[in-house]
Parts: sequence; structure tokens; C-alpha cells
Amino acid sequence: MQLAFASAILTLLAVGAISYRGMVLSSESDRSVRHTHEVLENLQDLLISMQSVESGYRGFALTGSEKYFQSFHADILRWQRDLTTLRNLIADNPAQQRQFPALERLANQKFEFGEKVISLRRTKGLEAAADSILRGQGQRIMDEFQGVVRGLQNEELRLLVLRNADAQQRLGQTKIVLILGTVLFLLIAAAAGWSVQRDTSGRGLTEEALRDSEERYRMLLDGVQDYAIYMLDPQGQVVSWNAGAERIKGYTAEQIIGHNFSCFFPPEDIERGRPVEVLRMTAASGRHEEEGMRVRKDGSRFLARVTLTTLRDASGNLRGFSEISRDLSESKESGAKYRGLLEAAPDAMVVVNQGGEIVLLNVQAEKQFGYRRDELVGQKVKNIIPEGFAERLIADGTRTAADALAQQIGTGIELNGRRKNGSEFPIEIMLSPLESAEGILVTAAIRDISVRKDAEKHLAQMESRYRGLLEAAPDAMVVVNQTGEIVLLNVQAEKQFGYRRDELVGQKVKNIIPEGFAERLIADALRSAEDALAQQIGTGIELTGRRKNGSDFPIEIMLSPLESTEGILVTAAIRNITRRKEDEAHLLQKVEELNRSNEESGQFAYIASHDLQEPLRMVASYTQLLSRRYKGKLDSDADEFISFAVDGASRMQRLIQDLLAYSRVGTKGMDLLDTSSEAALQQALINLRGAIEESGALVTHDLLPTVPADEMQLIQLFQNLVGNAIKYQNPGIPRVHISAARNGGKKWIFSVQDNGLGIDPQYFEKIFGVFQRLHKREEFAGTGIGLAICKKIVEGHGGSISVESQLGRGSTFRFALAGSERKS
Amino acid sequence: MKATRGEGMFKEVLLVEDSPGDVRLTQEAFRDANSSIHLHVASDGVEAMAFLRHEGVHAHAPRPDLILLDLNLPKMDGREVLANIKKDDGLKTIPTIILTTSEAEADILKSYQLQANCYLNKPAQLDAFESLVKSINDFWLTKVKLPHQRQSG
Repeated sequence: MQLAFASAILTLLAVGAISYRGMVLSSESDRSVRHTHEVLENLQDLLISMQSVESGYRGFALTGSEKYFQSFHADILRWQRDLTTLRNLIADNPAQQRQFPALERLANQKFEFGEKVISLRRTKGLEAAADSILRGQGQRIMDEFQGVVRGLQNEELRLLVLRNADAQQRLGQTKIVLILGTVLFLLIAAAAGWSVQRDTSGRGLTEEALRDSEERYRMLLDGVQDYAIYMLDPQGQVVSWNAGAERIKGYTAEQIIGHNFSCFFPPEDIERGRPVEVLRMTAASGRHEEEGMRVRKDGSRFLARVTLTTLRDASGNLRGFSEISRDLSESKESGAKYRGLLEAAPDAMVVVNQGGEIVLLNVQAEKQFGYRRDELVGQKVKNIIPEGFAERLIADGTRTAADALAQQIGTGIELNGRRKNGSEFPIEIMLSPLESAEGILVTAAIRDISVRKDAEKHLAQMESRYRGLLEAAPDAMVVVNQTGEIVLLNVQAEKQFGYRRDELVGQKVKNIIPEGFAERLIADALRSAEDALAQQIGTGIELTGRRKNGSDFPIEIMLSPLESTEGILVTAAIRNITRRKEDEAHLLQKVEELNRSNEESGQFAYIASHDLQEPLRMVASYTQLLSRRYKGKLDSDADEFISFAVDGASRMQRLIQDLLAYSRVGTKGMDLLDTSSEAALQQALINLRGAIEESGALVTHDLLPTVPADEMQLIQLFQNLVGNAIKYQNPGIPRVHISAARNGGKKWIFSVQDNGLGIDPQYFEKIFGVFQRLHKREEFAGTGIGLAICKKIVEGHGGSISVESQLGRGSTFRFALAGSERKS
Repeated sequence: MKATRGEGMFKEVLLVEDSPGDVRLTQEAFRDANSSIHLHVASDGVEAMAFLRHEGVHAHAPRPDLILLDLNLPKMDGREVLANIKKDDGLKTIPTIILTTSEAEADILKSYQLQANCYLNKPAQLDAFESLVKSINDFWLTKVKLPHQRQSG
């Protein structure tokens, strides 16, 4: 009897000791599991702070706002703190620590890159910064960084799985010890009870204690909800059943006790005698563990981890089996583990199982998608993120973690999320596989990027809106912001200044246009658009532009303010006027050349005729002297020869004088003053008085207007025309009439009409030529310069001269002169 | 003795002319117009000034009663000669006539600004030239009254 109690007590003590050890070990495992979670969380923090760093400099690049610059630096500090924490956390893991230099190196590269982008934004502006981001160096660093972090995460996850398994194993062992102890205790108690029954002497107290213990252990077993714990007899019939078993398998104790445990197996396993085999294997080794499909009461299957242990009596006879099994498809345990991690994440986090169902999510996910947690758990993930992508996510999830990692799935993929209310919003999804005891889960970090998208869209819109406009412009166009930085420019600007676009964007505009003007341009920009417009700033100002190679070229700048969401920008249309300047200079040069040439030819005619006159005067004078002194003293031939020489010399003198007169007309710039043509005609008639009197001509005229003219030339014009009219006459009284009439416009048409010989129309053109004569010298004196001079005078006044005539019916010479402004 | 002759019935005329043809024509024309004229010739401006200032070979040159001055001359042109004459107190009272082929307005204006006594164009025709010389003789050497100013000293 004493022995029986003693053995019962010993058994209890042993069970207690084993349990304690199990508990201790298990709590150690728990600690390391917690530690692993901490490390994982910290790694996630590192990733997040790095992403914030990235957002910081990207934000600055986009907006130029100092707010982003400050957060960029704050995030770097945060990252460094996170790293220190992590370093302390994994001080015990040399393999993990070896990754640190890479982590730090990449982070520093990332920070440097960020600084570079920021300084680019500051010095060269948006486009340069955007370009450097788009070139992908930052992304490559980020990818590599994420790779390293993922490596660390994977290592921790691997450790987590190991530690979980370890913890579970220990827990399992402890439980088995407990069960075994309990069974032993029950046996001993039964034996004791039996002896108590025999030994009727009062053992109430002990019995009481025993019953208490039994009850306690039953409660203990029943309290285990996560594990099905039951006992089988040697044939496999269920003899005990706990609450966990009821929950997992669906049978109540009443329903299952007495039934063979083979009903837990799928039919195909039963058919091939699996249940019997399992019992045989357990009996042979004392313990059997397996993972296998099991069937619930309702026929549904689940993956179970099963541990069978033989129960033998003291003499070693097989008394039965205990079976502990766990439903591996249940994820409640893992949910609890990751929840803390998820909730700490700044992004919406959704964990999806291989069936594409949402297993877990955090508060941010609830908020972002507008669902309550319980509305999403168990739902297909494709309800909230795009179908195609959701499927891929699941497909990726079913691959091995290594595969998925190798593919770097979903790094920064931009998609749309769908809220409960049906509205969509832009998201960026980062996927990572999560190997867990329950199989591979996929963690999706979903970031709402609508703010960033909006900013990008705004910028792109502005760009595309103005770009089209700018590129369509024929001039070089440069858009400058209020700090004098070039924000936008077109191809023409690139060409004209010899810079590439990225070399100019963000540069100070004063690098390409003159300093003073650039400053004014900016100053103008700072005023209100209305002010600037009112001032019509810089309309067609001519300046000098400077090319990349330092050469200058003349430009004309037209400014216009451009009100944009970024404030007032100034659009400068810059026209290269080199060509125009050259053309102008060329034209000016041509005009000068022409003037000089005209002047020279005038000068030439003048000088030539003047210098020719000198020797000619000698010839003429001495032939005349010769003729006078020796006429009749030599022979008749000599007299004739001398007379030809005298005549030739005289004619040549007249020609030269006329040429001189012709060349004098219009050789100098004339000042056209208001001149009375009436008075000019009177003077001409005075000059012609001899001829008029001699011919008996009758010269009449209408009232003549005042016209802008050179008086001397106008006199000569009348003198030549009236002189001709009198000179080329039929016998009889020459009649000449001078009149003037407006021709509708401002011009006056003067007519000099005579009743003389008239002119054959075929000579109308010819008579205005130099030295053109229609008559023999013997008939009419003169060199034929008169009308050429008239033509030159009229044309010099911007008019024209013509003749209308018929042979024998007189002639009418008409010339047009501009009217005076004063007299209308 | 030249001075005595000039003071008497002879008139001293200085012709500043580089063209021998013109010199001879002028001599011919004066011979026809007035036989009591001594026509002295200087063929450039420098020589003319030397003559007027009795320099070198012209130490005994008479003070002319009239100067006929061409504008275009070698060495020192007529405008310069005119300016020198009119700056010189001893010479500026001598009537100085510009006799030239130039009809340029600028030459005419400049000459009068330099106080030429008159400006005449050489006519192209012999008759006209002879009649011009005759006019000069009639007016400047006959009718015009001049101060009895001799060369200073």
C-alpha cells in the first residue's frame, strides 16, 4: 500500500520535474521566437526608414520643398538608430552580423545618391533631378539593399521556423510526459483504488487527493484546445477524448469513444491498411510521428501532425496508445505571431495564403481599403487589388520562397487598389514570401501613393501641356522660375545655346542671357502677372546670348509671365537674330556700297568731265587762236582742217559740260523743301527769255501748286521742257501750255504741252536716254542730254516722266511729283 | 627800279599758274588788252609766296598790283597761298583774284571765306577768255582805286 502511494507520489514528482524542465525549455524557445520577431520587426523598420529616406529626396526633387529635405535627414537619423538597435539584437548571430557592412555600404550609397539628387534639384532643377532618379541608380541601390534585408529576414524566418518547431517539439514532449504521467498516475491510482477497496481501512484523504489530481489533469487535457489528445486501446479503439480533439475532429467524446481511430483516416489510407500500420510502427518503436491527411467528422480533410506513443504497463505489456495531433491548416497561432509585426508597419499589410485568401491584415489596410477586419479576413485578395496581380501574387506565393525572392516579385510595382466603396486608388505593392509552419504565406505591403501620383501627374501635366507649346514654337523657349532657374526649355533652345537639355534645366538663366537682363527677368517674375503684362516687359529687347562654347550671338527676347501652381514662371521666347542682324548689316552695306558706287560714278563723271575740260580747253583755245591769227595766211586745206578741229573741240566741250550737268543732278542727297512750282516756272521762263523772244512763242500756264522739291532742279526741269517745246517747232508761233492736276492721290501731274513737231511713238523711250537725239545737228543744236536730265530730276523726286505725242501734232510731257503735305 | 616802273605807267601782275598753256594764253590775252603790264609768273604756291616775300631769286621782285591765283597748284595749293596772303598785313591789301576751272560750290565759298577779292572761272572758249582778261584789266587794273601801300620796310 505504502509502496503504491510512494510510487504514485514519485510518479507525480517525476512528471512535475519533467514538466518543469519542459516549461523552462519551452519558455526559452519562446524567448528566442520573440527575439526573432523582434529582429524581423526591426528589419522591417530598416526597410521602412530607408523607403522614407527615398521618399524624402524624391519629394524634394519633385517639389523643391525644404520640408522634404528636412524629413530626408530625419529619416537618415532614424535609419541609423534602427541599425544600432538591430546590431544589438543580432549580436548573437555572427552570420547575420556579416551582412552589416553590406547593409551600411548600401545605405551610405543610398544617402549619397539622395544628397546628389537634392543638390541636383537645387542647382539644376527638377528635370536634372528627375533624370538622375529615372536613370535608376537609386533604384539599383534600393533593390540591392532590399535584397540584403530580405536575406536577413529570410535567415530570421528560417530561425523562426526552426525555433517554432523546437518549441513545439518541446511542448509536445512536455505534454507527452504529462499525459504519460497522468496515465501512469491513473493506473497507479486505479491500482491503489483497487487496494483501497480491498483494504477498507479509511484512506479517505488519499483517495480525495487522488481524485483531485485526476480531475486536475482531465481539466488540463481538456483545456488544451489546439491539440487533439486521446487514447487508443491496443486495437485502435478510442478510449479517451479531449476538448481539443472534439474541436479539431468534430466528434464529441460520446460519439467517438469505442470507435476505431481509423475513421480519422481518408478512405484510401484505410484501404491500404494505413491505420493498422501506424499502430504497428508505433508499437515497434514506442513512438511515431507523421504529417498526414486526416478526415473530420463532416468528411473534410486537413493536414495533421500526429504523434503516437505506446502505453505499456509496468510489465511491458502494450496497454494502448496516446495520440496527439494538431491541425496544421489552422493559422491562428501564426496570426498571433505576426500581428504585432503587421500593426507596427506604416503601410497597409495583408497576408495572403495559397488559396488567395486574406489571412491577416493590419489597421492601415482596414483604413486604406475601407473594410472592417472581419470583412476582409477569409476574403479573396483580388477583391481589393487587381485581379491579374492578385493571381500572380498567389502564384508567387505558391512557389518556394527562394524562387519568389530570386524573382524579386512585386518590388515597387504600381497598381490600383479598390476600396469597399468601389473607388480605386494608386498603390505600390511590395511582396515578400513568408515561410511558416503552415506553408508559404505572402505578405503584401501596400502603400497608398495617390499623393505622390498626384504630384507626379501634376508635374507631368504641366510638362506635357507646356512642352507641346514650347516645342511648337519656332523660337528658343526657356521657362524660368522665380529663383532664376530654368525649369523648361525646348529643342530650339538646346540648339541655339549649344547645351543639352539636362545641362540647362536647373541652371541659372543668367548663364545664357546677360546678367543684368536675367536679373530683371526674375524681378519681373516676382511681380504680379498683371503688372508684368501691363509693362509689356522686354518686348523685343535686343540683347546678346551666350552659347556653351562662350560665343555670343544677338538675340531678341520676348517675355511673358506664366501663372502656374508653382507660382509665376516667366516664359522667355528667345530669337536668334544673327541672321536678321547679318541681313540688316548686309543690306546696309549694300546700300552704302550702292551709294558709294553712285557717288563714285557721279564723282567719276564729274571729275572726268572736269579734268577732260582742262586739256580740251587748251585744244579749243589754241585751235581758235590758230584760226584767228592764221586764217587766210596758210592754204585753204589748212583753214578747213583748223575749222574742223575748232568745231570738234567746241562740240566736245559742250558734251562734257552737259555730262557734267547731268552728273550733278542727284549726286548729293537732296532736301526736298516745299517749293512753289509757279515760281520755279517763272524763273525758268526768265532764263529762257532770249529763246522765247526770238521764237515769238506763247507760253501760258495754269495756277501751279506747291510741291516738295529742290528748287534749282525744278527750275531746270521746266527750263528744259519748255526750252524743248520752243526749240522743236514748226514754222509759226510756238504755243506752250503748262498745267498741273491731282491724279486722285497725293500726286500732282504736271503737263507741258506744245504744238511742235511731235515725236514718233517708237522713240518715246529713247528720247529720255543720255545723248539721244532724233534730229541732225545741223537741224537742231544740243547734245541730247536735256530730257535725260529731266528724267533724272523727276526720278530723283520720286516721280516719273512720260511723253504723249504724234508726229506733227505736238507733244505733251507729263511728270508726276508728290504733293506737299501742307497744301492739300 | 622795278618799283619805279610799277609806280609809273606799268602795272605789276602776278599770275600763279602751273599750266604753261594757260600762262601763254593769259599772256596773249593781257598783251591784247594792255601793253603796259608786267606779267610775272609763279608756277606753284611756294614760288608765289617767295615772290611776294622777296625771297631767294625773287629778292628784287616788285609788289604786284594784282594777283591772279589758280586753286589747284603743286606744292602749296591756291587756297593756302590765299590764306597766307590775307594773313599777311603787308600783302592782304593786294587784290587777289581766283582764276580757276573749278565750278565747285565749296571752292567758291572757301575762297570768299579766305577773302578772295573775286572768283572767276576760266572760260572754255578763247573769245570768252580774252573778254574776261579784258574785263579784269578794265576793272582791277584801271578803275579800282587801291591804297598807296607799299611793301613794309
